[in-house]
Amino acid sequence: MSDVSRREFLESTAAAVTAAAALPALPAELGASAQAAAVVRTPVTLTVNGRQHRVEIEDRSTLAEAIRDQLGLTGTKIGCDRGECGACTVLLDGSPIYACSYLAVWANGSRVETVEGLAQRGGLHPLQKSFIEHDAPQCGFCTSGQLMSAKALLAVNPHPSADQVRSALTGNLCRCSNYNHYVRAVVAAGAATPGPPGPAALTGEPR
Amino acid sequence: MSAVGKGTPRIDAVSRVSGAATYSGDVRLPNMLHARVLRSPHPHARIIAIRTAKALALAGVRGILTHQNCGVAWSSGDSRNIRYLFNNPVRFAGDAVAAVAAISPYVAEDALQLIEVEYEELPFVLEAEAALAAGAVAVQPGGNLSPDDKGVREPETYRRGDVAQGFAASYRVFEDRYTSAHVNNAQMERRVSLAAWDGGRLTVYASTQGISNCQRDLAADLKLPVENVRVVCQFMGGGFGNKNQSHDFDLMAALLARETGAPVRIELTRKEDYVAVHGRWPTTQYYKVGVASDGTLKAIQLRGYSGMGPHRKGSGAISGPELYQCPHVETTVSPVYTNTAVAANYRAPSFPQGVFAIESLMDVVASELAIDPLEFRLKNVTRKYQDEVPYTSYGLEECLRRGAAAFDWKTRRRPNAADAGPVKRGCGMAMASFHSRVGRSSAVVRLDGAGRYWVHVGVTDVGGGAKTTMALIAADALDVPLEAITVVSGDTDRCPYSVGESGSRTTNFTGQAVIEAAKDLRRQMADKGRPTGDAVLIGSATPDPKIEKAVRHSFAAHFVEVAVDVELGSMRVLKYVAAHDSGRIVNPLTAASQVRGGVTMGLGMALHEQLLYDRRSGIPLNAGYYGARVMTHMDAPEIEVIFVETEDQYGPFGAKTLGEPPIIPSVAAVANAFFNATGRRIKDLPMSRERILEALA
Repeated sequence: MSDVSRREFLESTAAAVTAAAALPALPAELGASAQAAAVVRTPVTLTVNGRQHRVEIEDRSTLAEAIRDQLGLTGTKIGCDRGECGACTVLLDGSPIYACSYLAVWANGSRVETVEGLAQRGGLHPLQKSFIEHDAPQCGFCTSGQLMSAKALLAVNPHPSADQVRSALTGNLCRCSNYNHYVRAVVAAGAATPGPPGPAALTGEPR
Repeated sequence: MSAVGKGTPRIDAVSRVSGAATYSGDVRLPNMLHARVLRSPHPHARIIAIRTAKALALAGVRGILTHQNCGVAWSSGDSRNIRYLFNNPVRFAGDAVAAVAAISPYVAEDALQLIEVEYEELPFVLEAEAALAAGAVAVQPGGNLSPDDKGVREPETYRRGDVAQGFAASYRVFEDRYTSAHVNNAQMERRVSLAAWDGGRLTVYASTQGISNCQRDLAADLKLPVENVRVVCQFMGGGFGNKNQSHDFDLMAALLARETGAPVRIELTRKEDYVAVHGRWPTTQYYKVGVASDGTLKAIQLRGYSGMGPHRKGSGAISGPELYQCPHVETTVSPVYTNTAVAANYRAPSFPQGVFAIESLMDVVASELAIDPLEFRLKNVTRKYQDEVPYTSYGLEECLRRGAAAFDWKTRRRPNAADAGPVKRGCGMAMASFHSRVGRSSAVVRLDGAGRYWVHVGVTDVGGGAKTTMALIAADALDVPLEAITVVSGDTDRCPYSVGESGSRTTNFTGQAVIEAAKDLRRQMADKGRPTGDAVLIGSATPDPKIEKAVRHSFAAHFVEVAVDVELGSMRVLKYVAAHDSGRIVNPLTAASQVRGGVTMGLGMALHEQLLYDRRSGIPLNAGYYGARVMTHMDAPEIEVIFVETEDQYGPFGAKTLGEPPIIPSVAAVANAFFNATGRRIKDLPMSRERILEALA
C-alpha cells in the first residue's frame, strides 16, 4: 500500500464500499518509506444548495471534506470515512452518494445538495418536520444522511411503503438504531404529500 | 403539572434535522493543527527503538509524542495498573505508540509512516481462560487475573445460602457453558477532541457523555486545578458507554497543543474506534442450576470469565442471577487480562451477555420439566433484590403478564420444532432487572426580568433526550409552559456538576436536582417577588438523594418470534414486544425511541456482531461497520413497546431508569426463540449463519 496515494486508492475502487475491508488495518502497517507528496490543488466549481462556489481543492480531498472544511457546511457528517455508514450522504445532481468516498474534484461542475439546503425561506422541509414529530433522530449524527437519502427516494417515489423506505435508506446506518422511527417519519412525509404516485419504485442506492 | 408524561418532540429537534447542531467535531479554531496516532501492529511487543527524526523533518509537522518524551498517565484508562498514553511494552494491536500534530490530517498521516519503530515481538494470549492457564504469558505484571479493588487477586464472589446443599436437595441439576463475543459500541460519531490553551487554562471540545467527569479526569492527569480546565460538548453523536470519562486522545490533544502553541484536533478513524477505544467484554460462563420437581429453583451457580483486554477499564462483572429468587446462589467471576482490544462499558455493561446465559439455561430447565417458559418465570422471578431487599417499586410481574398478552404468547408459542418445512418459526422470551448506579448532580435555575427560566445543568444529551427531559421536569416543577424554559448544558463553565450520562442516571439525579433548584427559586419568588428589568433570581440545589432499606431497579420482559431458514442458516425477527417498568415515563415519545433502539442493538449482538481476531497474529480482522455487521434498516424489525408505569417514590415525578435496560433481554429472547423454532440451542454469541448451520447439522 505504501506507494498508493489516497486518490489512486479511491479511484481504483470506485465502489469504495466493497473495498473498505481491504484498507490497511492500522497506519503502522503502511510502509515507513512513503514521502509526503507535494500538495496539488485544482480549481473546482461547485453549486451547493443553489449557491455557486469556486474553490481550490486539494486533489486528495473528498467531497465530504470539501463541504465541511472549505465551505463550512458541517451538517454533513463523516461517520466512517470509508463508505460504510452513510452519515455523509449528499445529493449529487439529485442522486444520493457517499461524499466520503467521492473526490471533490470529481464533483466539478455538479449540483450538490446538503442538509442545510432542505429548509426553504425559513420553513422546514416536510421530511424535517416529520423527522421531528416522529422523534427520528436520537443522537442525530446520522440524521443528515437519512434525510438526504429520504429526499432522493421521495423524488422518484413520492408515497413509499415502509419496505421501500427500508430498502432506500439501508445504506444509512443508525447506531442508536432508531430505524422504526426513521421509517415511520419518511412514510408519513410521503403520505402527507399530495399528488399521484411517482414514476418508479425506488432508487436509493448510493452510486 | 402537564409537561411530564406527554409525548413531546425534543426541544433541540430543529438543530438536529437542519445540520445546525454543533457537534464537537464541527468546532474549528484559528490555526488549529490536526493530530493522528500511530498504533501497534502487534498484540504484544517491546519497543526497542522509536526514531521520529524523519517525521519531524516533514514539512508541516509540528510535534510528536511517544513514550520517550511523554510520561503522562491516563488514570481513567485503567483502575488497577498505571496506563500511560504511550505504553512500552504495547499490549494489544492498536495500542498507541506515537501521536503527531501537523498542519493537516493528511500531513499527520504521512508523518506516521515516517516514524520508525523497532519491536521485539512477545508471546500473546487472546482468551480469558487461556490467559489463566499455567504458563500463560503475563499481560500485566503480577499475572492475568485482575485484582479486586483492594489489590487481592481473587475472583469477584457473591454467595447466599449454600449451593452444595441446594444441589443436594434438587430434583434435577442442569449444567452448561455459554460464551459471548467482544462487540463494539460503534456509535456513529467517531472519537474527537479539540484542545486549546489560553495561558494556563485549557479548553477541550470533547465528545463526552459527562463534561464534569471529563473535566475532573483531565485536571487530575494534567495536574491542573479543576477550574483551569473547561470541557465543552454541545451535541454528541452517541457513545453507549465508551465516552464516559476523559480519553487518552483528549490528553494527547491537550499535550500537543501545549507543546506546539496551537489548538490541536484529534479525530480517530472508524477502525481506531473499533480497536483502540473499547467494546463489551466477552465472557465464558459455566452455569449450574438445581430445581425441585415442581420447577422451584433450589440453587444457581455461576463461574465466569471476562476478557478485559490488557487494562481494567470496566468491572468485568456478569449479571443474570439477580433475575431469580433462589435460596442458594454462588457466583465467582474472574476479570482477566488479555492481549485484545480493551473491554469496558457498553450499554448495560454486564447484562445482555450474562442474561443470555442464565435465561438460556432457565429455558432448558423449563423445557425439560415441561413447564411453559412464562409460567416458569412467573413462579421463580425475583420479588426482592437477592431475596432480601425490597424494590422501591416493582413492575416485573406486570411486564411479564402484559407483554405476554400483547404478544399473544399462549397461542403464538407452539411446541419446540413444530414446523416441518425449511422455514421454522419459534417464540422466546427473557427478562431484565437493572440496578441503576447512584450519583449526585447539581442544578441552577435562573429567572430573568423578562420572565424566562434558564435551567443550567451539566448534561450533554448523548441521544436519549436529556436536554428535553430536564426542560419537561423544570416546566412542571416551576409550573410554567415548556416554552418559558431554556436549557443551558454541555459546558463546564456554564453548568454545575452533573453525574455523567452513564449508568442511566441523568433523569434520576440531575432531574431531582432540577426539581430541588426549582423549589428553591419558587421560595425566593414567594419571598421577593418576580425580578424585573435587569434583576435576576437564582435557585440552586445539590440534593443527595438516598434510598433507605430498598433498591431501585427497572424491569423488562421481552417476547420475540423468529423465522429460521434451516437451509440458508438465516434467522429473522417476525414480531417483537418489549414491556418495560421504568417508573413514570417523563417523555413517552423519546422513551419509545430508547426501547426500540436498545432492542435493535441487542438483536445485532445476538445475530451478527463480533470483533474477530486472527489467532496466529493476534490482529483484529473485521474492525468497522461492514465487518461487524451492525444492524441496518433492512434488518430492523418493528418493535411494540409497552410501559408498565409504576410510581417510584424516589424518582423525579415517579420516574426510574430507562437508557440501558432495553438491550438486556433481547439477546436471550432471540436465543430462546431459536430453540423453540428448531429444538436446538446455540450457546455461543453471535448466533451467526455458521453457528446456526452448525447447530442444525
